[in-house]
Amino acid sequence: MGLLKRGRRRKRACVVGLDGVPHSLLTRLMADGVMPATARIAAEGTLQPMTVTLPEISAVSWPGFMTGTDSGTHGIFGFVDLKANSYVLTFPSYTQLKAPTLWDRLAEKGKRSVVINQPSTYPARPMNGVLISGFVAVDMAKAVYPARHLARLRQLGYRIDVDTQRARSDPSFLMEELRSTLDARRRVVDHFWEAEDWDYFEVVITGTDRLHHFLWSALEDSAHPFHGAALEYYGQIDAFLGRMAYRFARLSGQDGPIPGFFLLSDHGFTAIHQEVYLNRWLQEQGYLAFSSRSPESLEELAEGSRAFALDPSRIYLNLRGKYPKGCVSEEQVCRLREELVEKLQNLQCDGLKVVQRVFRREEVYSGPLAEQGPDLVVLSQRGFDLKGSLRQSEVFGRSGLEGMHTWDDAFFFSDEPPREEFCITDCAEIILRTVL
Amino acid sequence: MKGFTLWFTGLPSSGKSTLARKVEEILLERGMKVEVLDGDVVRTNLSKGLGYSKEDRDANIKRIGFVCHLLTRNNVVAIGAAISPYREVRDYNRKLIGRFVEVYVKCPLEVLLERDTKGMYARALKGEIPNFTGVSDPYEEPLNPEIVVDTGKETAEESVAKIVRTLELMHYIPPAQDEKDYTPEEEQRIKGRLRDLGYL
Repeated sequence: MGLLKRGRRRKRACVVGLDGVPHSLLTRLMADGVMPATARIAAEGTLQPMTVTLPEISAVSWPGFMTGTDSGTHGIFGFVDLKANSYVLTFPSYTQLKAPTLWDRLAEKGKRSVVINQPSTYPARPMNGVLISGFVAVDMAKAVYPARHLARLRQLGYRIDVDTQRARSDPSFLMEELRSTLDARRRVVDHFWEAEDWDYFEVVITGTDRLHHFLWSALEDSAHPFHGAALEYYGQIDAFLGRMAYRFARLSGQDGPIPGFFLLSDHGFTAIHQEVYLNRWLQEQGYLAFSSRSPESLEELAEGSRAFALDPSRIYLNLRGKYPKGCVSEEQVCRLREELVEKLQNLQCDGLKVVQRVFRREEVYSGPLAEQGPDLVVLSQRGFDLKGSLRQSEVFGRSGLEGMHTWDDAFFFSDEPPREEFCITDCAEIILRTVL
Repeated sequence: MKGFTLWFTGLPSSGKSTLARKVEEILLERGMKVEVLDGDVVRTNLSKGLGYSKEDRDANIKRIGFVCHLLTRNNVVAIGAAISPYREVRDYNRKLIGRFVEVYVKCPLEVLLERDTKGMYARALKGEIPNFTGVSDPYEEPLNPEIVVDTGKETAEESVAKIVRTLELMHYIPPAQDEKDYTPEEEQRIKGRLRDLGYL
């Protein structure tokens, strides 16, 4: 199966994504002996830190990986967005992704792909191969292409995600959910690896992101009651990675997994010191007001509001002509924007700077859809988790979440030489070159 | 939107006409002007009198291609659905038309022989139909089609969806208007998941 006619090996690629796994954590776990198989894989190529998209969330990072472009080209700016000319919230779906994915481009050359649990691909749509959508998929029937695989997935006990509602407050339940979803993912990978003909095989583990959101301290604190369980989970992931690498090497007729085997994450993680509620800050600074004391949505935005935020860190100027209650003129944009940049950069909490950098739209987005993006994107200092929620009475606070995303501590493993600067949007071309 | 030619090629009874008609429906719904030039239909008028020798097949395909070219340059979507077994002539049409999207309707011969929806393969195998592509005449597979659909494995709906999606990505056709991906109940569930993870 590994050989083409005339003795040429079939070019294939296998990608395993680990959602929300920081490069720093991965290297520490390898060094500590928790992930020996991963350490062996890493020794065969380059495991390098990687920056991701802005904002540094899966909804944007994974499309960046899938398409090799930023939001200005693929059109997804966050988990939420606003309907044109309104303050009505929408939830961008895979249908709104405006750039071809890796597997679309492979299909143009007749290559077949199996993609399992890829976030930001819901609802699943036709492609040359098999697609099982990941987060935010809620209905399995709409998360599988072709639909004829649905019965088999149910038979294999496939799970899209953990029960986040219960898991966030029940660590024992969380650990059990992580184990069972990983087991189910493994069964499905095993099935499609053998049952399907493919040139590109991809699977994403998203349990890591859930563990980090809800129980980050368990990884950092050896005295934490769930520290052992968290390390055990990473041990299971290590075994999974080792198996994937070994079977890929065998399939490819190679001594080792590379070339052709890739690992990556879509953002890093770190502990939360404080959550920062940007819409509350905008209110206190006089840029934003609501017509009610407890607004349910941005539709309750009051006249005269000049700026608002969308989760997690996007700031939009309330432009005249763009929004129904828009009051900021074109002439006022530049000054207002710079005023916000300066104030944000000076924002402090407990004597610590909150903001690392404020990016202007043109610094972050390129492409025909850039104008649909936010005017500003805020990158916080580690420990300050920016939020776009509307109903906070203070600028700083805490919820039960323990971990927050980071922008510059994701990772990418390949046989490419290390680069000084490497971004998640660079991955697609490297992978495509391997298969085409 | 500008016109283009969507060219279906494949063995007899592989599904070219079926897919062409289904895609036509969708493009009409999206407000485009569309014409289908079906190989079987064209042979009863524009190419009446032509046979199945290589020369005649080439002439038939070039005639269809020429009409597609005229339609394309007048901002009509021309859908050609003909066996068009020879690569050289397909490539000739591609060069002539420019905005040309080739759809290879792939189906293994074994499946076609088994299905034999029109009974023609059985007759060809008996020698009753000479110069039958796939049996007694060659079919040259496209080397770099823009789209490949496998009607041996996919349903017609799956193939059509793949074709339409590719045309959207290539910016040849507009996306469907007001597509609602999520029911209200799904939206609530998605909101709940995002809230659990701190995004709302």
